[in-house]
Amino acid sequence: MFKRILIANRGEIALRVIRTAREMGIECVTVFSEFDRRALHTRMGHIAIPLGGELPGESYLVGEKILRAAKETGAEAIHPGYGFLSENAGFARAVTEAGLTWIGPPPDAIEVMGDKIESRRAMQAAGVPLVPGQTDPAADAEAAVAAAREVGLPVALKAAAGGGGKGIRIVRELGEVESAFRTASGEAQNAFGDGRLYVERYIDQPRHVEIQVMFDQHGNGIHFGERECSIQRRHQKLVEECPAVVIDAELRERMGEVALRAGRAVGYVGAGTVEFLYSGGEFFFLEMNTRLQVEHPITEMVTGVDLVREQLLAASGEALRLAQEDVRFQGHAIEVRINAEDVPSGFLPATGTVRNLRLPAGPWVRVDSGLYNGLEVGLAYDPLLAKVIVWGPDRGVAIARMRRALEELNVGGVRTSAPAAIAVLDHEAFQGGEYDTHLLESLDLSSPRGREEDLAAALAAVHRFHGARRRGMGPEAGDRAGWLARSREGLSDHVRRAGRAGGRA
Amino acid sequence: MKYYLEVNGRERLVELRERLGELSVTVDGEPVELAYERIDEEGQLLVLSGGRSYGVSIEGDTDQIGITIAGHLYDVRIEDEREHAAHAAEREASRGGGRVTSVMPGVVVEVLVARGAEVAAGQPLLVLEAMKMQNEIAAPAAGVVQEVFVEQGSAVGAGAPLVQLGPPPESEDS
Repeated sequence: MFKRILIANRGEIALRVIRTAREMGIECVTVFSEFDRRALHTRMGHIAIPLGGELPGESYLVGEKILRAAKETGAEAIHPGYGFLSENAGFARAVTEAGLTWIGPPPDAIEVMGDKIESRRAMQAAGVPLVPGQTDPAADAEAAVAAAREVGLPVALKAAAGGGGKGIRIVRELGEVESAFRTASGEAQNAFGDGRLYVERYIDQPRHVEIQVMFDQHGNGIHFGERECSIQRRHQKLVEECPAVVIDAELRERMGEVALRAGRAVGYVGAGTVEFLYSGGEFFFLEMNTRLQVEHPITEMVTGVDLVREQLLAASGEALRLAQEDVRFQGHAIEVRINAEDVPSGFLPATGTVRNLRLPAGPWVRVDSGLYNGLEVGLAYDPLLAKVIVWGPDRGVAIARMRRALEELNVGGVRTSAPAAIAVLDHEAFQGGEYDTHLLESLDLSSPRGREEDLAAALAAVHRFHGARRRGMGPEAGDRAGWLARSREGLSDHVRRAGRAGGRA
Repeated sequence: MKYYLEVNGRERLVELRERLGELSVTVDGEPVELAYERIDEEGQLLVLSGGRSYGVSIEGDTDQIGITIAGHLYDVRIEDEREHAAHAAEREASRGGGRVTSVMPGVVVEVLVARGAEVAAGQPLLVLEAMKMQNEIAAPAAGVVQEVFVEQGSAVGAGAPLVQLGPPPESEDS
């Protein structure tokens, strides 16, 4: 086993890896951009190496800087987390060529699975079911129209180099294919430097079901069942659960076998996720994420397996200790992503400085978080701030537990996606398990749903009243921290009204 | 002291009266019983109201205040009497759409309308890119474009003015 590894990431996922590594007696080298010099991951490793630069493109995405940090510190292996360089085959190769171990699949596997077109070819050859569509990208708008006619509407236009839901357009009318192709292609060109798109059938009422797999270097592979990630918006997941309501033991086995076949076809090693679209008993391969996923904790909660530990063991060359029949599923787990997003304005990115932080706790509540008071949330980095994960003996308990946990959560200074998750948990369709990938987008979240508006109004006015009074005493006193600290004339910390009994609830 | 509020988009009138060192509070004329205890310097409060206790978080400055109660955020815009009177004239002038501002920092990818153009409610005015996503900014109401403040490639901050819309012209048919 490694003595020291470098974690080429930041935020909650860096902490996630550090925690398991520490438990295994492995030292962690963390790297940080200038922006992250106070970040939790910078503080929690054994050795922290500055990369310089404020932006990801000047730090976490610069392979040479990461490799230099690994060399300088004597790290034997690099864990990429998710995002950043995790699915960059070139970097994986550079790591190996530098004589270090890449904690992830072989570069060739990343390359094949990272290209939507190549992966479809490989999966077709391996007998993995695919959504009907083009194997080659459409050359231009006219070709896209022809392909849409052949595949059948509705169609999805997908960026060849896309990922994480970026660069996907859904078109329901043949007449709209041409203009949609132009916008989506332009967007893909800007985002990925590759404007190629391919056309495929869009499955209505689809559910996003994915299988977690793990392979060692000796040809053994097992799966850890499925996760359902149908609660998404613009293909960005918000709420995930394990197991999926629609998957029974028999289907789980079938999907698991197909997922293992997909991995074997590309010589996979380590942790990976095979994503499927599920609709009416059928499932189709979407893509394989060749890394640890954001939502991996719900699988850990239900199987009791530490996936990062398994990843590290596999990367160090050990054989899988678990056989497929050793993987047991108990109870139900849910994850909610806490993103810096303003829900009422349509999930626009939110920025600010985190203050007044209160994280949920209690039985079977796990919080994987990069949050701390004073954290600056900007636009340059991923909006994922934290994940709240709960486990319950059954789905009903897990939903109630998550709701309770989210009510405890408070992130001041930055808007988060938590209210949208609460709306989902409260929704009849979600509670009944009868939902698909459109549920979140169908919800009207434009107006907040809290029922304590009178109380909020009263508190805001009192807040303002004290603020004005302080400002009257001097410019310094307007500081927004401690707005009650200088309330005088006997107001102290209390405002009382001997109103009628009961008042207004 | 009167305060004019918008709580989650709904208008509220709050009156505070100070007497013998105590504040009495009414919301839309109804008294609200309120006692609170400051927990820390950050804005965490314990609020007692109507026999119930609430763990409340409050933040923000003079006219924009955010209050979180049990996981729900209440967005409050607040004006005192003087500000309310001053803004009344502005509100009147902005009928027909008013000023469209950027809700987030980003870069203008494309401007789709020009000065003098008539636009329908919901018609895209420009495309703004933020977080690698292109977002169409649509007209909130029908009107006429009086001014376009940005051009292709402009970097805008949150709250930056994008387009000024005036009232739509009288229909010629009527």
